[in-house]
Amino acid sequence: MIDALIIGAGPAGLSAAIACAKQDLSVVVIDEFYRAGGRLLGQLHQEPDGTWWNGIEEALRLDREARALGVDIRCGVSVYDVSRTPGGWNVSTTAGKMETPLLLIATGASETAVPVPGWTLPGVMSIGAAQVMTNVQRVRVGERGVVIGVNILSVAIARELQLAGIQIDRMILPPASSITGNAGLPEEVMRALLRVAHLAPSPLLRWGSRFMHSHWMQSLAVRLYPSRGFPMWDIPIQLRTAALEIVGKAQVEGVRIAQITPDGQPIFGTEQLIPADFVCIAGGLSPLAELAAIAGCPFAYVPSLGGHVPIHNDQMQTALPGLFVAGNITGVESAKVAMAQGKVAGLSMAHARGALTDLSPLTDAIRDVKAVRQRATIQFHPDIDDGRALVEKLALAP
Amino acid sequence: MSQRIVQHPVLGSLVQGKPLHFTFNGDSYTAYEGETIAAALLASGVRTLRVHEEKGTPRGIYCNIGHCYECRVHVDGVPTVRACMTVVKDGMQVSAGTVLPTPLKKGGHTS
Amino acid sequence: MDAHQLIVCRCEEVSLAELMETAEAYPCSARELKLRTRAGMGCCGGRTCRVLVDQVIEKVTGQTPSHSVPLGYQPPVRPLSFQLMGGRNK
Repeated sequence: MIDALIIGAGPAGLSAAIACAKQDLSVVVIDEFYRAGGRLLGQLHQEPDGTWWNGIEEALRLDREARALGVDIRCGVSVYDVSRTPGGWNVSTTAGKMETPLLLIATGASETAVPVPGWTLPGVMSIGAAQVMTNVQRVRVGERGVVIGVNILSVAIARELQLAGIQIDRMILPPASSITGNAGLPEEVMRALLRVAHLAPSPLLRWGSRFMHSHWMQSLAVRLYPSRGFPMWDIPIQLRTAALEIVGKAQVEGVRIAQITPDGQPIFGTEQLIPADFVCIAGGLSPLAELAAIAGCPFAYVPSLGGHVPIHNDQMQTALPGLFVAGNITGVESAKVAMAQGKVAGLSMAHARGALTDLSPLTDAIRDVKAVRQRATIQFHPDIDDGRALVEKLALAP
Repeated sequence: MSQRIVQHPVLGSLVQGKPLHFTFNGDSYTAYEGETIAAALLASGVRTLRVHEEKGTPRGIYCNIGHCYECRVHVDGVPTVRACMTVVKDGMQVSAGTVLPTPLKKGGHTS
Repeated sequence: MDAHQLIVCRCEEVSLAELMETAEAYPCSARELKLRTRAGMGCCGGRTCRVLVDQVIEKVTGQTPSHSVPLGYQPPVRPLSFQLMGGRNK
């Protein structure tokens, strides 16, 4: 009989497995991808001190450390159901049913879709798909592409594609529709980009930051935004241009674009067709909470964390006995935060099995999550702290 | 020409596994050990992995991490296999799905 | 933009126009909208479009999202073969 089953071999799941195994728990980790690492696989960016954060290496390091501690990591196994038993949890997988007293759901996040006419054509993919194909699978997604959706994640990945020698023709907004939300509004997109001004040496951000002081100034900045855009790492970022349609017969051949007004409406007479052999759609991330939902977890809707998240306390326990969560399922943040949360969840599970003689490692790990969050160079949302506080408050409510 | 990224300024040069052979819709392709079906086909310039079962519209990779099922193919006779999550094995036979009949779509009446 | 050309549910090829028209004709829950249009009922189980289907309901009803998940989840959350469920090849 195992002590703990962990669903998801990403930064949170593997860190949790390591923390549990160090307390002599018997741990199994399952993941449906063919290799361990989750969203670490593919991450590649330069830290403010100039060093490179290479997610593939981080994933390998965690995978090796976990295996050396005796953690059983099973890749290529999908979970399709979880249900409560008198003594814990029953997990149905494509490799059979598994029983466990403690279950950690660390399934991460999925990419938010932004529909564009023509987006079902082969050659259109999510930006995360292009990231994994380029950095992990080492196959070029195309010669010349357009990124639809400008946000912190898409700008970072566009830079990664460019590093691999793939030309990003431009980054533009999706067509404004009743379900596009802020992603199609130049002013909202600009405000979100300016929050990460410190990350990229770019005239866009130097120019834009002068307009940050007031709402009125920001509106002015959007009205004055040059139609050719501003380059970031030589990639033109065109906040006053939107994709109208992705065109092609059997696969992507180009994108029909137009300049847009500050409120996202296409300007008549500015349409043009630009050639492209691939398109990346970037809508950001939302917590992938389907297994927590079928387990029966109560949820909280917290926009700053990316949507609906399972309610959990600071020890990563949900309201259901023996059920824990960690990583992006609890809110979209960086891999470093996910690792810190995973450690907390692992120590919490060890505590639940009576394996912790001293609680100080757990309290230290909880403090560390907050410290890592404070140090994060990428904040996915300015109100993350408020969102986290709300979830903790809901967890304490009777 | 292969679309593999052999040189990378940060990740270094590609360490290629041993070559394997597989077929897609009857045509022969080469993959390198450890590559997924989706990656090996894209490296050979194949973007269309299936057609929509009802509308017949072409589909390829969308999410590349197993969430969307757009890249589902038949592998050695087994349907609904995600090309993005399945590592090529030597001699694998892969095929795209086809348009399927929808006899019950209009309440069972044939038009 | 022509909402008929904008596919929201890729699996079942359901357009934004179809979703908006259905939501307006039958002021309903996200679940009912799903059942009426089949959006979210394809092979991926709604993993790609569920947030968009929720947004259609928000747009039409003017309701802001609550803490409960609008479009419920049911197992299995992956498509399964009958063989895995205990069926046998004859």
